[in-house]
Amino acid sequence: MLVCLAAPLRFTVRFRAAFAPQEFHMRNRLLCVVTGLIAVLAFSTMASAQAPPSKEAMATAKEHCGQPGQPGTQYQVLCSDTKTPGPAPKHDISGSWSGPIGAMRGDPFPPMTDMGKKMASVNHANGAVNVADSNDPLNHCDPLGFPRSAVFELRGLSIGQMPNRVLILSQYERIWREVWTDGRALPKNAGSDAPGAPDPRYYGYSAGHWDGDTTFVVDTVGTDDTTWLDNGGHPHSSDLHVTERYERVDHDTLKVSVTVEDPKVYAKPFLLGTTVYKWIPEQEFEEQLCIPSESQAYTDAIARPAGEKK
Amino acid sequence: MRPKLALAFLLVGILAVCGTAFAHHGNVAYQDKPIDLKAGTVTKFIWTNPHSFIMFDITNDKGEVEHWAVEAGSPSALSPRGWTKNSVKPGDMINVTVFQARNGNTVGRLAKIVFPDGKMLHDSQDRDTQAAGAGAGAGQ
Repeated sequence: MLVCLAAPLRFTVRFRAAFAPQEFHMRNRLLCVVTGLIAVLAFSTMASAQAPPSKEAMATAKEHCGQPGQPGTQYQVLCSDTKTPGPAPKHDISGSWSGPIGAMRGDPFPPMTDMGKKMASVNHANGAVNVADSNDPLNHCDPLGFPRSAVFELRGLSIGQMPNRVLILSQYERIWREVWTDGRALPKNAGSDAPGAPDPRYYGYSAGHWDGDTTFVVDTVGTDDTTWLDNGGHPHSSDLHVTERYERVDHDTLKVSVTVEDPKVYAKPFLLGTTVYKWIPEQEFEEQLCIPSESQAYTDAIARPAGEKK
Repeated sequence: MRPKLALAFLLVGILAVCGTAFAHHGNVAYQDKPIDLKAGTVTKFIWTNPHSFIMFDITNDKGEVEHWAVEAGSPSALSPRGWTKNSVKPGDMINVTVFQARNGNTVGRLAKIVFPDGKMLHDSQDRDTQAAGAGAGAGQ
């Protein structure tokens, strides 16, 4: 993989070698060749890392990231890195980030309102172990929706900053969200039955602003109420208001918290989940799609026969 | 909501958001002990999220052809174990160690496959590699 960047920017790249991580400062044309080599070396190091990680590595990963990630994954390897990263740039959370499969739990779910309990009785995970019987909309490759996409399937996250908005891109399902930073107000009543109210969206309507030099705050409203808050199928209404905080801790670390407020369903606001993301050295993540035809083939070939009562 | 149901709901919610013990669904449908299947002929290999799967035919002791479908991890889980999308092709001959479905159907969860030249590929959930790595580690 040869990555050539024309911009005359100073660029710091690290790669994880078997013996010692090294740091390169590169310019211009040199950027082309060296990035390619590093990408190849980093990639081959990952691919050939068949030996399971040591206990120390896993402990370091847990210390840095709050959860160590699955052994052998890119996330675990990045979390286990002991090199001191550079400082956080100001007002910059852009780049590609490696995350775990799922966020760390925040607060316990608060008590539900009567309406919340009613929704939960109709729309919740049926707990079916077998995929063929499960009612998780993900199994049909339906959209994750927001904020579930911020707490589940977090393996790759990319952020691009434009003059009037920030784009948040998820590796899973190639989801992209627009977060407006031009000071516009979020729509009122999005997703409600009020006349003229904007339709709800799977990924809502978002606006964001900086809090200090290194934390970007995102507000989201108008999410579609057929999506689940989490894998447990917890419901939410379209009145849900989500606050995400993206804190650039240092050059290589992005801490994200997701707070949920939905007075129609939950008695009080609560922290849904937190994640520590790590800078991806080669700045590229995989394509990870849920493909309906393959999902169906899996259900027919494996899930249904495995779950069949005989 | 009844208290017990609420508690179960809460537990599922907790486990769901906690990223460490992740599974879309469990392996409850499969036996605890694996079995070895010899001389399977691959008919299909689907390299996909969230579960890859291999379909192969085995001729059993009675001379009947059994059609098997065995699931494994996702591409990103299998890659660190040495898999690629070309690791298995239709027509390949493989020996398969599999956790068969409890209901006796010819489906299951892969433990590992062994090629005629001795090369092994382990599923992402398989722990054999760790044990083998600690010992002589032959046949890897």
